[in-house]
Amino acid sequence: MADKKQVIVLGAGPGGYAAAFQAANLDLNVTLIDPKPDPGGVCLFHGCIPTKALLHLAAVKDESEKAADWGLTFSGVKVDIDKVRSWKQSVVKQLTGGLGQLAKARKVEYLQGMAKLTGTNSLEFTSVEGDKKEIAFENLILATGATASSLPGISFDEQIMNAEIALELKDVPKRLLIVGAGYIGLEMSVIYKSLGSEITIAEFTSDILPGLDQDLRDVFKKERRDLIQNTMFNTKVVNVEKKGKKLEVEFETQDGKKKESFDKILVAIGGKPNTKNIGLEEVGVETDERGFVKVDLVRRTNVKNIYAIGDISGQPMLAHKASHEGRVAAEHIAGHKTAYEPKAIPAVVFTDPEIAWTGITEAEAKEQGKKVEVAKFPWAASGRAVTLGLKNGLTKLIIDPENDRILGAGFVGKEAGSMVGEATLAIEMAAVARDLELTIHPHPTLSETIMEAAEVYFGHATHIHKKKKK
Amino acid sequence: MSIEIKLPEIADNVTTAVVLEVLVKKGDTVKADDVLAEMESDKASFELPSEAAGVVKEVKVSEGQQVKVGEVMFIIDTEAAGSKDEKAEEKTPEKPAEKPEEKKAEEAPKEEPKESAKDEKPQPEAKEEPEQQVSYVSAAHVPASPAVRRLARELGIDITQIKGSGPNERVVEDDVKAFTKKVVQSKASGAGAGVIQDDFQLPDFSKMGEVRREKMDTIRKITAKAMAGSWQNIPHVFQFDKADITELEKFRKDYSKLVEKKGAKLTVTAILLKLSAIALKTHPKFNASIDMKNEVIIYKEFVNIGVAVDTDRGLLVPVIRDVDKKSITDLSLELNELAEKARTKKIKPDELQGANFTISNLGGIGGTNFTPIVNRPAVAILGVSRSQIEPVFIDGEFKPRMILPLSLSYDHRLIDGADGARFLRWLVEAMQNPLLTMF
Repeated sequence: MADKKQVIVLGAGPGGYAAAFQAANLDLNVTLIDPKPDPGGVCLFHGCIPTKALLHLAAVKDESEKAADWGLTFSGVKVDIDKVRSWKQSVVKQLTGGLGQLAKARKVEYLQGMAKLTGTNSLEFTSVEGDKKEIAFENLILATGATASSLPGISFDEQIMNAEIALELKDVPKRLLIVGAGYIGLEMSVIYKSLGSEITIAEFTSDILPGLDQDLRDVFKKERRDLIQNTMFNTKVVNVEKKGKKLEVEFETQDGKKKESFDKILVAIGGKPNTKNIGLEEVGVETDERGFVKVDLVRRTNVKNIYAIGDISGQPMLAHKASHEGRVAAEHIAGHKTAYEPKAIPAVVFTDPEIAWTGITEAEAKEQGKKVEVAKFPWAASGRAVTLGLKNGLTKLIIDPENDRILGAGFVGKEAGSMVGEATLAIEMAAVARDLELTIHPHPTLSETIMEAAEVYFGHATHIHKKKKK
Repeated sequence: MSIEIKLPEIADNVTTAVVLEVLVKKGDTVKADDVLAEMESDKASFELPSEAAGVVKEVKVSEGQQVKVGEVMFIIDTEAAGSKDEKAEEKTPEKPAEKPEEKKAEEAPKEEPKESAKDEKPQPEAKEEPEQQVSYVSAAHVPASPAVRRLARELGIDITQIKGSGPNERVVEDDVKAFTKKVVQSKASGAGAGVIQDDFQLPDFSKMGEVRREKMDTIRKITAKAMAGSWQNIPHVFQFDKADITELEKFRKDYSKLVEKKGAKLTVTAILLKLSAIALKTHPKFNASIDMKNEVIIYKEFVNIGVAVDTDRGLLVPVIRDVDKKSITDLSLELNELAEKARTKKIKPDELQGANFTISNLGGIGGTNFTPIVNRPAVAILGVSRSQIEPVFIDGEFKPRMILPLSLSYDHRLIDGADGARFLRWLVEAMQNPLLTMF
């Protein structure tokens, strides 16, 4: 144990590299450890980034088909899966390579391999070549992420895939079963549908995106009848059997059991934090009953020089939450007075239409017994939506009636993910409905729907006629 | 199951206490309500009871240690004794123990000694960065932007204390800055008033002979600070008078049984308590406090009187509340009870706070007169010395009369000389002719 590292970050996903870069910005000496050749983690290598590239492709294809109604017809739209794959890979390469450059520029030491804690100030590093060495550290940030859960007794392979395998795009299965109608399940179903697969979705609960407000779901379901009509709700996959090249799947539905045959299955039923096999037990880092590392307001574990951020420190398992936590942890190590205290964490489902929400949902407000008022602006009244050929879409604001403060917002429709940022800023700034109403929004854009929803709250939206309240 | 015994909330404004004596050790079997430690806080001592029966698994404090409210002092294993104490089980889970500590941290933004050094958790071998005074309480619920919340954190300000000036009380940057300024100013003035700036250079006594150094206990420290603060800030005036209590003494002896039946003695102090209460009602300035910052006089509609009690740990002043509404018998009983509590360390800090006026009776010891110091925020104190028979010239001859010397110290910022003389004269007349109080 020759030299002692000032900060080691274990895991180079969006949480880990954000932490490492921020620590370097604050003049700390940083070592970043990850098995991949460059920073990026699940998000960049086989998560957010490749899915978004493919979803863009799906959107272009879907839109080109819709354009026939507007007098624009394309002929011979074809999917070349090999080319799609290499394009996706080039996107990943560009971004992760860029992160590698940024790490170098900040003099962040990048070690490719895995590590396990051996003490509160030391870990054992195993390089990708298999060489082992002990490294001492003053501070450690754990950012080991999460792993996709599988169905009981089933391990992933080429045919029973998790999102990572599915994004390799080996081929386009004819019949694809997607287990789970959460955001990964929905995004993957949109991608594979567009690539030409026949999609069936099996969801254990009674609706898509558990926890989401019903009105947002309803718009999506109306727009994506093609997916929803092949979705089985309240359905459990009880058995999967390989029969020749096919997979025979047994479902347990409300109406009893049934069997169907598929070419491939994609399991998207959530993830488990990677808190095993990294030596947490050995040094006494506490985890909760679901396996998340327990952390305080600066993301510090019960061991005072070890921090945990991202998917291993609790829900929501989202890249942007991890990055923010990573920066807070790095700042705290650098001696800054900082805290992880978001008022709102936005979430986006990048399907077509997109679904996005931030802050409190109507369902959560109800659960907490908090009185809220909801102001909705349907996109049918938005000029911009009509010019884009959108029929359905919704912007909603969840407002505290006592002080008009914006507590939450929800969007469904094209570009919903780009609009949720404004709403999140409004919540963080403790803006009131009047602030949104009195801010001039550019016309004609979808962002106007936020302003108009605030007008609806006061009972006088420009593009909706409604009787005055009170 | 193990339960944590924490230092409970003792009284308002009391955030720490000192461990006087640890009465149990690891492995001891205790019953619920058994005393685990003797504590001293602010102006009172109290006992820390066990919340449950069990075996002492861990003693986390030692004698002389300062403990914060909410800090874990003992861990009791309730199963080891095979006992079940449901009350304790309900009470213990996750009391938000951090909160009082956090507050503390904010009040003292400068480096405090590393508390975490005592933690048993593994420590980094060489973490050179000083343990910062960060508030570990989330301010996410406060209507303020992230930048404003960060600013408050950096300034060591508890943003939850700030009332925002923005729409619907949104806290803006200027609010945080204004609040910080206020805190800094009040700290500056507060420090000057409360602390004795005594830079007197002590000689080396050991050159003169053998010496013994003893640490001041809490009561001594508090008394020293409070008295120096009063003396430095209050322009004192002392008024003396004498009361002929021959008749009063006769009455006291004749009717003492009325009180003795109930279990207490009828004392001059008890009678003085009642008469003082009436005097305070009729002379409201003496029942007031002054707020010099705002140049306001605060008149109080209640009459709470403190009585100085000599204990082996020093002076304590238990407070009797609503004296004007109580009979002399009740006052005698209560006085007896409070004095006993003060002497046996059972008095609670609450019972030592909030006196509008004080009576200090040194008559039991002796002396002809003394000048007590007014205890802020009260504005006057009555000193009572030993009564003795003196010759008094009455109707052409000297007669032996029982004479009680009284002194009144008062704050000249509020009370003028004539007022002081009148007040004390009123008390003397009242002792001589109690019927006068009816007018």
